[in-house]
Amino acid sequence: MTLPSIVTRSLTKSYGALTALDSFDLSVEQGTIFGLLGPNGAGKTTLIRILTTLMNQSSGSVTIEGLDTLSSGRAIRCMIGVVSQENSLDRYLTARENLELHARLHGMEKRQYKGRIDDLLELMGLAGRQTDFPDTFSGGMQRRLVIARALVHQPRVLFLDEPTTGLDPQSRRAVWEYVRSLAGSMTIFLTTHYLEEAEQLCDRIAIMDHGRLIASGSTQELKDRLSGATVYEIEFAEGEGERYAVLLGAMSCSRNISRLGNKVTVTLEHWECVSEIVTALHGAAIRRISLKERTLEDVFISLTGEKVRE
Amino acid sequence: MLTGTVAIWLRDMLILRRSIYSELVAVVAYPLTIYLAFGIGMQGYIGLVDGAPYSLFIAPGLITMTAVNAAYNESVWSLWFHRRVQFTIESYRVTPISVSEIVIAKILTGFTHGIIKGCAVGLVIFAITPFRFPLEHLLQYLLFLIPGSALFSCAGIISGTVMDKPETIGKVEAVLVMPLIFMSGLFFPLSSYPPSVIPWVRALPTTALFEGARRALVTGELAAFPVLQVSLSALVAFVAAVFIFRRKMAE
Ligand SMILES: Nc1ncnc2c1ncn2[C@@H]1O[C@H](COP(=O)(O)OP(=O)(O)O)[C@@H](O)[C@H]1O
Ligand SMILES: [Mg+2]
Repeated sequence: MTLPSIVTRSLTKSYGALTALDSFDLSVEQGTIFGLLGPNGAGKTTLIRILTTLMNQSSGSVTIEGLDTLSSGRAIRCMIGVVSQENSLDRYLTARENLELHARLHGMEKRQYKGRIDDLLELMGLAGRQTDFPDTFSGGMQRRLVIARALVHQPRVLFLDEPTTGLDPQSRRAVWEYVRSLAGSMTIFLTTHYLEEAEQLCDRIAIMDHGRLIASGSTQELKDRLSGATVYEIEFAEGEGERYAVLLGAMSCSRNISRLGNKVTVTLEHWECVSEIVTALHGAAIRRISLKERTLEDVFISLTGEKVRE
Repeated sequence: MLTGTVAIWLRDMLILRRSIYSELVAVVAYPLTIYLAFGIGMQGYIGLVDGAPYSLFIAPGLITMTAVNAAYNESVWSLWFHRRVQFTIESYRVTPISVSEIVIAKILTGFTHGIIKGCAVGLVIFAITPFRFPLEHLLQYLLFLIPGSALFSCAGIISGTVMDKPETIGKVEAVLVMPLIFMSGLFFPLSSYPPSVIPWVRALPTTALFEGARRALVTGELAAFPVLQVSLSALVAFVAAVFIFRRKMAE
């Protein structure tokens, strides 16, 4: 039984009249990758800023590795690495100098950080560009440099605030791979508004909106929390779609019919309805029937009643 | 204890070193133009001011002006840039160093810019004029230049901390900093003011700085009071800058 790495209790933060975090309770196990999923304005950055001691909460408490953020800020900052939402790289320093300054701010001596920085630049695929200035880098390279900077002092907890927002799919995958390669060696707390990112990377996921925690669990647990309803996609032969959509819509066990050309998507109350449907469709020209896998997006919509705001 | 301060100050010095020649050319051009236009060009029309040739009268003020302007500008823009544009301050703040270490580093950087650029202008002016000063005059002059640069560096830090928009910074410089420098006896003696105004002008730390620095350099007359006045103002500004920056960061 390991101690939790991050614990928040009734954490609340108000900006004037706006409550950006509302009695937030969270616990993150050591050594796991934890994803905080929420649309823009949900309060993710606010939470990360409090967890990383950049900002004080209005009420409630936070401990990182057992230390309270209000009383042990310095000790906490010694063992966390932070990748903020904005890149915060120093464009007047080369890539390597950016890392060196960070090492010195962590009180490291040159003999301690030299090899470490070599390794990190290698790991992040930046060794060949280490004497260049970061404003000549692509978005993905800048992001990797920020991650390298956050790792220089070998943190025990790594915070990443929307690490791949604004990156092209290829760079995004590269960042995922680097993050995955760190798994197990430290606790990783990341925020994202990409469902796929949370699903791909995280052991556990919390969903938040309007400053409140809505649900948390593993991807599978969250999907299991959806109602027993199942969704089928049925593709009919040319010109048949509309007729059968009407037929299916009239059946008692079907809910939520939608049609796109010859493809009809139907949500069934429970799986026992399948045989009823098969009977009803007897003799129809069906090209394909498929069961639609539930996604985190479905979970999100069912929990918040709306799509993820990009 | 001040490892953070040293690390950030060294970073700033590295950047300064990389652009030192272009910076010096830019910073020397302005006071040199004024010196040539007023000190040399207008000299014949102005004659002696307070017993000194006009070119000699304005030389110390031009050096002081360059130093304090450089200190102020470096501090205000650097703080604004690192806080609002590059977010580097935030990247410093997630390391173990304290907020005070950050602001002290930035104050030191502004101060260093002031001293280096002031000295550069001084050297150029001395190179093109026949005036020579005894060493002790120069040392006494430094007694003003050092707290003066510190004062303006701290003032710049305060402005760069409280102002979020670059337009505001430009406006404050135009309506507050420049008039304050020009009204402090840089181009004319205080006796030109109406007698009722003089005590008010004298109360300004900038007057103590410009007047005192000129006397120290030209006549070698060291007045303890203006030195104290400038030093004390610098100290108050330092405490205020650290306090205001810390409060801003706690928001
Ligand atoms: N400094 C601030 N002052 C006032 N309101 C803020 C501030 N920072 C964030 N907010 C507001 O708090 C809410 C949460 O913001 P944020 O934590 O940045 O969300 P996210 O990172 O999930 O997009 C938003 O409504 C935002 O407008
Ligand atoms: Mg955010």
